[in-house]
Amino acid sequence: MKIKQKSDRQIGWHIFLIIIVYLMLIPIVFALSNSFKTTQDAYNTVFEIIPRNPTLENYIHVFQKLPFAKITLNTFLIAATVTIFKTLTSIFAAYSLVYFDYKGKAFLYFMMLSTMFIPFTVTMIPNYLLISQIGLRDNIWGVALPQLADVLGIFLLRQSMRGIPKSLIEVAKLDKIGHMKIMRDIILPLVRPSVISTGIIFFINSWNEYVWPVLILKTKENYTLSLALQMYISSEGGTDFTIAMAVSVMTMIIPLTLYIIFQRYIINTFAMSGIKG
Amino acid sequence: MNNIVFENVCKSYGKNTIVKDLNMEIKEGERLILLGPSGCGKSTTLRMIAGLEKITSGSLHMGGRCVNEVECGDRGVSMVFQNYALFPHMTVRENIIYGLKANKVDKNEIETRLKDAIKMLELGGLEDRKPKELSGGQRQRVALARAVVKKSDYFLLDEPLSNLDAQLRLRARKNLVNIHEIYHQTLVYVTHDQIEAMTVGNRVAIMYQGNMEMVDTPSNVYNHPASVFCAKFIGSPSMNISEAAYDAGRLYFQGKEIALPDMWSRLIAECGTKELYMGLRPEHMILSAKKTEDSVEGVIKYVEDYGNSYGVYVEIGNEEFIAITSGNFPMQGEKVYVKIDFEKLHIFRRDTEKSIGYPQEIMNLRRTLPDAFAQ
Repeated sequence: MKIKQKSDRQIGWHIFLIIIVYLMLIPIVFALSNSFKTTQDAYNTVFEIIPRNPTLENYIHVFQKLPFAKITLNTFLIAATVTIFKTLTSIFAAYSLVYFDYKGKAFLYFMMLSTMFIPFTVTMIPNYLLISQIGLRDNIWGVALPQLADVLGIFLLRQSMRGIPKSLIEVAKLDKIGHMKIMRDIILPLVRPSVISTGIIFFINSWNEYVWPVLILKTKENYTLSLALQMYISSEGGTDFTIAMAVSVMTMIIPLTLYIIFQRYIINTFAMSGIKG
Repeated sequence: MNNIVFENVCKSYGKNTIVKDLNMEIKEGERLILLGPSGCGKSTTLRMIAGLEKITSGSLHMGGRCVNEVECGDRGVSMVFQNYALFPHMTVRENIIYGLKANKVDKNEIETRLKDAIKMLELGGLEDRKPKELSGGQRQRVALARAVVKKSDYFLLDEPLSNLDAQLRLRARKNLVNIHEIYHQTLVYVTHDQIEAMTVGNRVAIMYQGNMEMVDTPSNVYNHPASVFCAKFIGSPSMNISEAAYDAGRLYFQGKEIALPDMWSRLIAECGTKELYMGLRPEHMILSAKKTEDSVEGVIKYVEDYGNSYGVYVEIGNEEFIAITSGNFPMQGEKVYVKIDFEKLHIFRRDTEKSIGYPQEIMNLRRTLPDAFAQ
C-alpha cells in the first residue's frame, strides 16, 4: 500500500517535471528549427518543427556579414578571464573564511554577502565612469575588469569547504604543511565539483551578459555574441529573425557543451549547498 | 627527556572555562589515559598538547621547553583522530606517506617506514585502495600507520577506537599497546571508555568538569578512588554511594549503624568532619541470609542474571544498593544481610566529595607503580 502511494506520488512528480522540461525546450527547439528555414517559410510555418525547405543560408549570412569568429573569440576571452579570476578569488576568500581565525571575520562575510543585494543599476554608472577614465571603453578588458570577484562563488565554496572535516586540516598542520600546500593537496581535490560548477556558472553568466557590454563596447569588432544577436532583433532588423535564430543557436553551443560535460558536478553542488550549514 | 608538564594550565572560550588550573606531568615513554565523560575537557587537554588549541593561561612544557608559543607542526607530535581524518581522495599509501613526502624525507627512508608500518598493521594488499573502500577497522589502522611512520616523540590519540565494534576494539587495543612497546613514544590517549583506559594505560587521569580528579595507576584508580566522581565513574555497575554520619566509632547510614574498626575511626577523627559518604563496590557487598554482628539488614528488590553472576538490588533504608555475587542469596522480596568488608570500604567527605584517604593498614597493600614510572 505504502509502496503504491509512493509510486503514485512519483508519477505525479514526473508528469510535472516533463511539462516543465517541455516548456523550457520550446524556445530552444523553436530557435533551432527556424534557424534552418528561409524567411518566407519562417513566416508561413513558424511553429512547424521540421523546416519544409531546410537551408544553411542564415548561418552563411552570419559568417559573411559579421566578424563572427572575432565576436565569438571576444565573448570567450571575456568569459574565460572572468571565470578564472572569479574562481581564484572565490577559492582564496572562501579558504580564508573557513580556515583562518581573525577578528571581524563574521562581519566581513556579512558585508560580502550584502553586496549580493546591491542592484547592478546602482554600480553601473560609477563602473562606467571608472572604465572610461582608465581608457578601457570599447575594449573587451573593460567588460571583464569590474567583475573579477564574485560573492556567489565565495558563498558556494565556503559552504562546501565547511563540509570538509577540520581534522583533515589539523592532520596536515601537525605535519607542518603550509596553507598553500593544504589548499592545493587537500582542499581543492575535495571541493573540485563545487569549483567546477561555480566556474561554469560564472562562465555562462558572463557569456550571456548583455547590459554591461552594451554600455562599454561600440565597434562591431569588439562585440560579444549577445550584442551581435541584438542587431537582428532590433526594430530595424525585424525581418531578419531567422538569422537571429541562427546566431542564437551558435551562441548556445559552447555553454551547452560545457554544461553537458560537467552537469553532474553542477547538480551535486546545488543539491549539497543547502544541506551543509 | 620527552615528558609533558602542565603548570596551572587553563583553557577557556569566552566565559566558559573548559580546563581549570591543570597541573600534571606525563612521563617520557608512558601511556597516560585521559578519561572522563563527554565535555570534561579531556579532548581539549589533548589538543593543547598537540598545539591545535592555544592555552589561555599557565604554561605547557614538552621535553623541557615551554611550548606555549610553539606551532603545532614544530612540536614533534603525531595524532590519531576519532574520525581517523584520512584524506578521502588519496590511496592508503598516499595517506600514510603524505606528511613524510611533504616534509621531504628521503625516498628510501619513506619506503622503509611505509613497508614497516604496513606489515605491522596488517595493511598489505590495501595500499592502493581509497579510504571509502576500507572497513572501519582498516581505516583505523591506516590512521595509526600514518601516525606511526612519523616516528615522532609524542603520540596522541583522540578516542581512536570509539567507532569500532567490540570485537575489533579488543584487537585494536592490543595492536596499539604492541606499537607502543616497539617505539616507546610518550603516549596520551583520550577515551570515555573505562575498560579501554584500564587496559591501555600505565596511568589513568580522570577529568571531570575541567578539573583533574585523579592521576594514578588503573588498580589504584579502581581500589582507591580520590573522589566520589572517580568512584562512580570507574567500575560497572558503579560504586554504591550513600550518605553516612560518624559518631563515636560507629557509622550511621540509612537508619542502620555499624561499628567501625579502629583504623577507620582514627582516620575519620583526623579528617575533621562527621558528614560523610560511604562507598562500597557491588562486588564487595557480601550477601548472607544470616545476621552477623557487622552486617546490615536489607530487602532484595530485583535480581539481574549476568550468566556467570547475579546483580542483586538490595534496599537498605531508603536507598537501593547493587551487589554482584555468584554465591547463594535469598529470593526476591526476602530479607538479606549485607556484610561490609572494611578493607574494601571507601569514605568521602560530604562537603568536598573527596576521599578522606585510606588507613595505613590498607595502603600497605596498595600496589606500587612499575619502576620506570615510579613517582
